[in-house]
Order: sequence, then structure tokens, then C-alpha cells
Amino acid sequence: MSIIFYNEWKGFLRNKLFLFFISFFVILLFIVTFFGIVQNNKQIKSQNDAHSHIRAQWDEMNPSNPHSAAHFGTYAFKPNSILNSLDEGVNAVTGLVLRLEGHKQNEVAFSEASQSLTVSKFGKFKVSLLFQFIIPLFLIFLAFNIYTSEISSGRLKLLLVQGNSLRKIVFAKVFSLLSLATILLLFTILAQCLFNFSNIELDQVIRLNVFFWSYFIYYFIIISFTVLLSLILKKSTSALSLTIITWLLWTIFLPKTIGNFTESLTPLSTRIELTEKMKEDRSKGIDGHNPFDDRKKELEEEVLARYDVDSISDLPINFAGILMQADEEYGNKVWDKHYGDLYENLETQKRNYQFSGFINPFASLQSLSMASAGTDLFHHLDFLNAAESYRRYFIKTLNNEYAFGGSRTGERGWKASNEFFRSIKDFSYKEANFLSILSKYLIDIFCLLFWGMSLVVGINFFSRKELI
Amino acid sequence: MNISVFLFEFKHFIRSKAKLFSYIFFMLLCGFSIYNGYEIMHKQINTIAEIKDKQELEFIQITEWLENKKGPEDKPWVNVEDPYWSIRYTPSYVVKNPSALFPLGIGQSEHFGFYKKVTRWSSTYDSDMVEEISNYERLINGNIDFSFLIIFLLPILLIILTYNINGLEKDLKFNKLISIQNNKINHWIFNRLLFYLLLLLLSVDILILGVGLFNDEFYSTQSLFKLVLISNLYIISFSIVFYFINKNARSSSSVAFKMISIWLLFCVIIPGSVHQYVSFKYPVNYMTDFLDVNRKQTYEVFKLDNIDLYDILMEIHPELVQTKKAQEKTLDNQLIRRSISTIINQMNIDAANEIEIQNEDKNNLIKFSYFFNPVSYVQNLWSSCTATDYYSYRKFRLEIEESVLARNRLIVLELWRNNKVDKLTYQKYLGVLNNL
Repeated sequence: MSIIFYNEWKGFLRNKLFLFFISFFVILLFIVTFFGIVQNNKQIKSQNDAHSHIRAQWDEMNPSNPHSAAHFGTYAFKPNSILNSLDEGVNAVTGLVLRLEGHKQNEVAFSEASQSLTVSKFGKFKVSLLFQFIIPLFLIFLAFNIYTSEISSGRLKLLLVQGNSLRKIVFAKVFSLLSLATILLLFTILAQCLFNFSNIELDQVIRLNVFFWSYFIYYFIIISFTVLLSLILKKSTSALSLTIITWLLWTIFLPKTIGNFTESLTPLSTRIELTEKMKEDRSKGIDGHNPFDDRKKELEEEVLARYDVDSISDLPINFAGILMQADEEYGNKVWDKHYGDLYENLETQKRNYQFSGFINPFASLQSLSMASAGTDLFHHLDFLNAAESYRRYFIKTLNNEYAFGGSRTGERGWKASNEFFRSIKDFSYKEANFLSILSKYLIDIFCLLFWGMSLVVGINFFSRKELI
Repeated sequence: MNISVFLFEFKHFIRSKAKLFSYIFFMLLCGFSIYNGYEIMHKQINTIAEIKDKQELEFIQITEWLENKKGPEDKPWVNVEDPYWSIRYTPSYVVKNPSALFPLGIGQSEHFGFYKKVTRWSSTYDSDMVEEISNYERLINGNIDFSFLIIFLLPILLIILTYNINGLEKDLKFNKLISIQNNKINHWIFNRLLFYLLLLLLSVDILILGVGLFNDEFYSTQSLFKLVLISNLYIISFSIVFYFINKNARSSSSVAFKMISIWLLFCVIIPGSVHQYVSFKYPVNYMTDFLDVNRKQTYEVFKLDNIDLYDILMEIHPELVQTKKAQEKTLDNQLIRRSISTIINQMNIDAANEIEIQNEDKNNLIKFSYFFNPVSYVQNLWSSCTATDYYSYRKFRLEIEESVLARNRLIVLELWRNNKVDKLTYQKYLGVLNNL
């Protein structure tokens, strides 16, 4: 087997067209990885600048009423992971800026896709575009006649006469092509490590490993599938046509149709429906800005009893702050209910889509590729949840200061100091540790392995039964 | 045109299962994409209808308040006879109705909202201007869209149909025989290719005109025929390139490889590279200038003295000088405070204009790439015909801007004129607020 493998490589290196393409891909990967990292770093810098700019405004705030400061609010900017240069995932279509303020939870806004005309339907020319669309096609063209050319040239019989089994010959050819794809993968990973050396931590190493192995298995699937078809069909042109049709189905048709299907299985509310439902539920709670609210009176009685006084003017604290926080906590429950359901539905859709990996290995690859780059739906939802947790901390700190910071009820002009505002922690988001969310991707890993194993069985079967 | 070659190709097409299946499959996909487009369009139409119904109920509610209670029960301080409250409680929505040709191309519609509730504080870059709730991962894969099929998949169908013209003959080594039987081999290739070209042109034109007839009754004739023209020229351009590849064929697999490479180059690599370069040159806008206006500068305006606010107001609305309240000797504090939104709105408009200018710079760079990036050009041209491109949504944003402006102007003028609202006045308000 190793001799056939070695011989295949000798053949590759003698082929000028092959050498041209392999050099082309290596140079292209280098350029794409380099510019991907430069562009990503530029965006990270731009995000850091925006973040510092907004925080500086907060730190420079003059003494103000804490509740006014809650309305003034702050912003959370969605950070780019350093591996975003490998696969941009959902980042081009999600918003990047989230306003965090009192009383309401906003939508993350200003997506890149909404800032210009359409350029590319397949996304930016990043490593993922090369690895998902172009290199598989290149491998298909290398693999479709790797077996049939041996038959037509009569070399297959020679190889068999020399004592090799057909199975060994086929696998040696599959692995020779796979080793070629592996070189391209390793080259990209090395380039990524080289240009991002100072930022690579253990989590990134794990992610790069997942990235590498996902593509490795996928390329094994692509090559094996093409070779299997040529084993079955015995005609290189038929094998090529069918493989290209399959490639189209996997990469273009099925992701779209199954995406639509999973969305119809677990429908999402329209924005207006969600807003109306939340508004209705919110109206059942305390309204911090409505002095005639019945629920406010209940809270007032409860606080008076707690401090053992008869009127709110006797309270040693500022009741307005307690009221605002009660309003906030009710709003949080409403948000948890509705957005909890929404996020759950999104995760269900994603999970259902992951199962499509059994018929479309590209779906599993795409999922793992985005996951390893930290740019998939789960990572985005993690950011949104982190931003919401921060918003709660931020508003609660302000409301507590308003209630217990030294003012009394009715002192609307009371102001918290600049030191207090500066003491509030800044929003800082670090993407989830990959191992902590690995379980979410087990379906994808299983699907890729399932495809790989099935193809090994398939090739074994057809190479055993093959009649020469 | 050599009829016998043409007819032979028809027979070959019918007998070739792979080609016939691919064609039928593609046509079914086109049918499905149009159906999908209709579904999205109807979903939008239904949402807009719901909004209109809701809005109607709110109008009725205010009219009832004008007759009886003057405001909601739990907010006794609200009196809708005061223009401030009646205008504040009157909802106005700006909607972007889907065009009749929407099923033929959903374009960028999934990246923008199509309705907006307008208040006096609204702006065109509010966080509720984002796209309809959907799964982000589905958004990156996109929908099965008719324009996508024509622009990106139809060339692949053309490859499947034509890759073995002149290549198979060379594979099987009877190309010399063809040369003997056909005086001009180029004509023979041309005629064979022409069959598939006409088949595709006819199929695509029937689908486009069909949607135009059934959904639009040829109302948007100009856009419809523009779509026919764009699609036909696009298909012809690919056919010309493929003709030369077929003409110089060495084998069917080399033809397939070259054709696929052309497709990859024009549909994936060039647009992807331009996209990457544009992002590099103009990184994602975090819109800090806009955020500053929305937050810091807004709060600074609130801190201004009444006299300063009065001066700014007179600058924005010089017509206020003639109003009853402006003639009074002392400044009405509440009136000034209630008019602040018009100042903020002016600041929002200026900031939004800046963003539009930055976006336009980005768009100009994209447009500059069109001469070597024809696929993106065709894609945006197509979306403009179905009113789903960036500029259609910019027009929608301008309509929102006008609506916010009209609302603020109305509220300020009515407050400064010290008018009282009755049912008749309210009807006039509705006319201004909702463009009735």
C-alpha cells in the first residue's frame, strides 16, 4: 500500500498541471490567511476603539442621578474571535452593537450585510470559502478517474497480478489524495498560528484541532465518495457528473432547503408578534414610571413594613430606586420567558439542522467549521446572554445606588458621584471555552464519522465484489 | 442554423437521463423558489396587514378618548385634547410593501426590516430597524431564491448540459469522423450549444413572464422586461464563454474542469475577493458617531438652558416665530421641553446622513469592481428590479426619516400654536402622520 501511495505522489509531482494547481492553492491560502488575519485584526481594533470611546464617555460622566444614567446606558460591541479569519460564520449577518439601558432590552443592530450592496452570495474570500467550495471541487477532479484511468490504461491488472488487493489499491489512492488535502490544511493552520502566535491560547489550539479534523474527515468523505462512484459506475464521466451534482446538492441546495424546512418545523414569532406579547406581559407587572400603578402600592406597603415606618418619606432609603429595580426584575422575567423561548427555538432549529448531516456531510462540516472559529449560532447566543447578564448587573448597580446610596425618597435631584460611575465594571466578553460547549456538536462529529465509516465499508464492499 | 444538428441535439437531450434529470430538477427548483418567494412575500403582506389593523384600532381608541375619558384609565394625566398627547398616542408605521416581482428575487430583503413604528424620537438606525427574526445560520445559507438559481446555478446546469460537446467525441476518438461529416466543426458546436441556449432562455423567460402575468398583471412592465433582458444577456454571456471552451476541447473532463473553474472564478472567487477587499478597506461600521448623537449629545441637549433651546428651535422651525406661544413674553418651560425631540431628530438626520455617505463610499467601491465582477453587478441589478436591493431599503429609510420629521414638525407647530384637539383636528393629524 505504501508503495502505491509513494507511486501516486511521484505521479502527482510529474504532472505539471497538478504542480501548478498545488502551488496556486498554497500561495492563495497564504494570501487569504494573511489578509483574513489583517482584516480581522483591523476589525478587532475598530471594535476596541468603539468600546473604549463609549466607556470613556461613561467614565467622564458628571455627577448624575443613577436612574438618568440607566437611561443613558451603555453599548456592548460584539467582539470578533481571532479565528474569525478562518470562518466568518454568522458574523456578517448578525448585528454588532447592542444598546444596554434601563427598562428595555434592545436588539443587536448594524449588521455588515445591511451596510452596503450585495457583493458575494458565498461570503468573503476567507479560508472557509476555499476549504468548503473550491478545494473539494479540486479533489473531485483529481479523484474522479483515479481508479478508472487504471482500468483504461491496463495498469490495474498489473497491480493486481503483483499481489495487491483492489481494496488496498483504492485506499492507497484515496490516502494519497487525502495527504495532499492534509498538506493544505496543515499549511493554513501553521500560517494561522504564525500570524497570530501571540494570541493563541489552549482554547484556540483545541479549536484549530477541531477545524483540522473536521475538514480532514470531510475531505476523506469527498475523495472516498468520488472514488466509490467511479468504482460503482466504472465510467469516469458518469462518476464526474454524479459527483458534481452531489457536490451541488450538498453545498448549495440542501443547506438552503433543509434550513427552510427546519425553520418551518419550529416557526419563530415575527418581531411584531414578539413585541406585542412582551408588551402585554410587561403591562401586568410594575411600571416604575407610573405613580398610579396598583402593584406599586403593594410594593410600597411591603417596603414600609420591612423598615417599620408609616410613610415613604420616613424611609431611610430612596423608594424610587427599589421601585425601578422591581420594574426591572419583572421586565427581566418577561424577557427570560419570551427570549428564552426564542433562543430555545433557534437552538432546536440548529439541532434539527445538525441531524441533516446524516444526508449531507457538508452541513456537519459547516457547523464544526463555524463552531471552531467561534462564529456559529451558539456562540452568538452566548454573546447575547452575556450582554444581557451585564445589562442586569449594570442596571441593578445603578438602581441600588439610587435606593441605598444616600438619597431619600423624593430627592430627584440627588446625584451619584463620578467615582461611583467609574466603579461599575466594564462589559467584557470572552468567547465560551470550546470544551464547555463541545457536547452541542456531538451530532456533527458523529455524522462526519458515520459518513467516513460508511464510505470505508462501501469501498470495501465494492472493491471486493469488483470483477475485472 | 443547421436544423438536423439542432434536432439531433434535442434527441440526445431527451435520451440522456443525466441531462434531462438535471434540467427537470432545475426547473422544479425554479418553481419551488418562486413559491418560496410568494410565501415570504405573503408573510410580509400579512404582517403589514396586522400592523394596519392594529393601527386602525389605536385610531379608534383615541377618537373614543376625544369623546369621553380623554386618556387611558391608568394614566389620568394624559389628555388627548392636548396635541402633545394626541400625537404621542397616535401610532404611525412606515412599511415597505414587497414589490409584485418579489417572488423573482428576494435580494437583500432578509437583512432589513420592512416596517417601523415611528415615534418622535425615532431614527433610521434604531435597533428595531433590524431584519425580521430568523435563524442566523439559515440567513448565511440564504433562501432558495429564483435570482440565486438563475445567477449562480443556471451556469452549472449549462455546464452539465454542454460539457461533453466536442469533448466526448475526443474522449471516444471519433472527432475526426465529426469533422468529415460536418464541414465546419465550429458550426456543429455552435448549433449543439444553441439548442441548450434556446432551451434555457425559453424556460427562464416563461417563468419570469409567468410571474409577471399572474402576480403583477404586467403592472411593472419596465422592471419585468428588464429582468428578461438581464437574465437573457447573462445566460448568453456564459454560453459564449462555454462555446470557446467547447471549441478548444481536449476531453470532456478537461472541458468540465475549465467550465467549473470559470464558474468558480466569476461566481465565487471574484465576488468573494471583492467582498474581502471592501471589508478590508471599509471595516464594519460600529456607528460610534451615530451612537454619540443618540446618547451623549442627546443628553447634552437636555442639559441646555431654555433660551438656548429656544434659539435652536427657531433655527430649525423659523415658522414658529409667528405662533401664539412665541409671541408671549416668558418662555414656557414645558413647551420647550416637549419640543426637544425635534432638535434631537435634526441631529439624528445629520448623523444618519453621515452613515449613508460612508455606506455610499463602500457602494462606490463595489460598483467600481463591476467591470471585472459582472456577477455582483447582475445580482444587484436584478435586486433593483425586484425592489430588494440596498437602495430600495435606503428609500424606505428616507420615508421613515420624512415621517419622523413630519411628526415632529406637527407636534411643535400644534403646541406652539396652542391648539386644542377635537375630532376634526385629529383627522387632520392622521392625514399628516400617516400620509393619508
